[in-house]
Amino acid sequence: MIEKFTQSKLDRCISCGYCLPACPTYQLTGAEESSPRGRITLMRAVQEGRLPIVDLLPEAGFCLGCRACEPVCPAGVEYGTLLEEMRDMAWQGKNRPLIIRGLFIAVQSKIGMWALGFLSPTAKNRKANPELNLMLGCFERRLFPSVSRTVAKLDTNISVCKEQSCCGALHAHNGELEKGRQMAQKLGEELTGTIITTAGGCAAHLSDVIGRDRVREFSQWWSQNEGKLEKIKKSGRTLRIGLQDSCHLRNGLGVFKEPREILKQLGDYVEVPDAGGCCGAAGSYSLLQRKNSRKVISKKIQDIKELNLDYLVTLNPGCTRQLVSQLRRARVKTKVIHLAELIDLSL
Amino acid sequence: MKLDSASLVSQLESLLGKDLVRSDATALESYSHDATPIFQGLPEVIVAPKTTADVVKIVNFARQTSTPIIARGAGSNLCAATVPLSGGIVMSMANMKKILEVSKSEMLAVVQPGVTNLDLDQLVEKDGMRFIPDPGSRSVSTIGGNVATSAGGLRGLKYGTTKNYILGLEAVLGTGELIRTGGRLVKDVAGYDVTRLLVGSEGTLAVFTEITVALAPRPSTSKYGVAYFDDLSCAAIAVEKIISHGIMPSTLEFLDNTCITAVEEFAHLGLDTGAGALLLFGDDGEGESVSLTVNKMAEIVKESAGGRGVSLAQDVAAAEALLYARRCSLPALARLGSLSILEDIAVPRPKMAHVVTAIEGIGAKHNLRIGTFGHAGDGNLHPTIVVDKDNAAEVKRAELALSEIFHLAIAAGGTITGEHGVGSAKLPYLQELLGETNMQLQRSIKHVFDPDNILNPNRLGS
Repeated sequence: MIEKFTQSKLDRCISCGYCLPACPTYQLTGAEESSPRGRITLMRAVQEGRLPIVDLLPEAGFCLGCRACEPVCPAGVEYGTLLEEMRDMAWQGKNRPLIIRGLFIAVQSKIGMWALGFLSPTAKNRKANPELNLMLGCFERRLFPSVSRTVAKLDTNISVCKEQSCCGALHAHNGELEKGRQMAQKLGEELTGTIITTAGGCAAHLSDVIGRDRVREFSQWWSQNEGKLEKIKKSGRTLRIGLQDSCHLRNGLGVFKEPREILKQLGDYVEVPDAGGCCGAAGSYSLLQRKNSRKVISKKIQDIKELNLDYLVTLNPGCTRQLVSQLRRARVKTKVIHLAELIDLSL
Repeated sequence: MKLDSASLVSQLESLLGKDLVRSDATALESYSHDATPIFQGLPEVIVAPKTTADVVKIVNFARQTSTPIIARGAGSNLCAATVPLSGGIVMSMANMKKILEVSKSEMLAVVQPGVTNLDLDQLVEKDGMRFIPDPGSRSVSTIGGNVATSAGGLRGLKYGTTKNYILGLEAVLGTGELIRTGGRLVKDVAGYDVTRLLVGSEGTLAVFTEITVALAPRPSTSKYGVAYFDDLSCAAIAVEKIISHGIMPSTLEFLDNTCITAVEEFAHLGLDTGAGALLLFGDDGEGESVSLTVNKMAEIVKESAGGRGVSLAQDVAAAEALLYARRCSLPALARLGSLSILEDIAVPRPKMAHVVTAIEGIGAKHNLRIGTFGHAGDGNLHPTIVVDKDNAAEVKRAELALSEIFHLAIAAGGTITGEHGVGSAKLPYLQELLGETNMQLQRSIKHVFDPDNILNPNRLGS
């Protein structure tokens, strides 16, 4: 656990408020304390001893951690890091949500990871290019095993080793900053060379710790290919395809053009309004803050419904899960699919 | 009768319902600041009215209980106009953000005060119209806040500022009475111009609940160029020459070397960091006339003393990069230290060359880093002092330097604030600028609108 916020990171904020319109929770409430600027004011109050850290528990939980405030910040405040520090300080002992404790246990041990992958039809062990390794993710291998299987099929150069641990993004985002970093280091040692990941959130965390040059998120990696893809047709008609950005991929790594370029090759690409805005999955958020998570996504669901899309493409398993369940709940027929699987459909 | 904080909260809750009232420690702390550094004060309660009727109720309640009220838009002002230094109620206008009407035939819009500048401008863009006031904070700042501070922006010289675009207001006085001033008319001289009086009143005379703004046609073309100079005073002289030629362009912005270097380090735009000043010039309008104006400006600038080269932006991307260089001056400067104090003097254009040189002298004398940028066409300068907030001696020197800069502006026939407002930050200098008679008049006006001194007390006129 850390004792204090990094002062230089707090000092960066000039309180201009440019983050307010970008923040989904501020948009929901209009309350200053639920904005990035407001939360930084609160962090400063804790740092200066005016507020106890427990007072920040509601906001530590309410913030999605989507980092939409970062690209619009003219002063370059690293809000994501400050939030991680805030949760590290606030979510200690009994203040850590039970669900988070359970998830931690699942992914931080070898047996837990084995259990997540057990009988799950992910990509199979394969020795190919030792400098190119596929990351299987923790919950992705259980929830959406076909994604890794598809990537392995799309490029036979990629090596797959099923005995790999979790990247620690879950820990870093939920109050175990140091442990999260150690886990990323460890994964970086287990998998040599370039690590391909199909989860935007993992890509951002892993890049942060082991360096951007060692990590490629799938759309980033695929867009290096020169070949052009065929448009996918369904009974003679070109498919209408939309995208939901992965927040950390877009706001943390600045990757958002790449998937769009690929989708334009695959069909009629339609930009979903606020495609870069959080879908409310936000890692564990959809479990911890069910109601707010639904409020965040409600407009998006309406927008997707009106666009009458065939496919909505995702780049992160949390988003996939959220969109599948919320679209189903609203009886919207649009199918949710990971980019890799849609590419596979075109081949 | 004055109430303790707990009764204040409980009575407001029964008056408005619990949803609109917040008083937990985090809420109070988060509203203890606005975008102004240093100033801080805790409110006792936050209310967020949804309707004009709510606002009337709150003001009446505050009057009965002698509780200060600070109306707050986005809290993006730079003069500590919304820091609750006297405690009391912060009234957030965040729940009143509807655009009530847009009339293309009348070229106007009616909005609630919490609508942001950008939201209105984007909505009317579809109809080929534009909302002119464009403070740097336009994506977040609200129109209520614009009216309260008579906000400016980058278009002042050619198009004017907020005060030129407010047609009518609905507002709640400090007495709790609801008034309507102005309306939808281009011409209307019946009675004192109360609308204009309320514009820039910084929440001390009334709380706006509905605002009727004039819109303008959206120009189809814009062009920009950039020129470098040996120093800021040479750039200032070039600006004077442009305007003396009868040209009133939409953009005349400059930055000094401290800003150029900071921006370049931050944004890597390929700026000439060896130059003493950068002048960004541009115009908007229809067809060929824009190119003609911009080319003419380039010629004038080329001939001007201390010039180091002129170039025109060849495409939109290049123009955007130039505008970005100007817009990111403040944040780029802010990275150089842990505390940046941004000022906002305005001086007559012929005095600008002298004033920018004198500011450099003040910086050197106090051994401070001062970056100056500003709206050169308006004579509006933003000298920004960047210091280490933990270095008490340096902060003290910055305060001295600021005071000298204000005196410099006043002596040059200028003002202590061109567009940011007085707030608490510049109140100590207001009397010197206005003189006793005018100050007394301001106090008398305040008393008429707000006899119990509940609206943003201890600021303008109180």
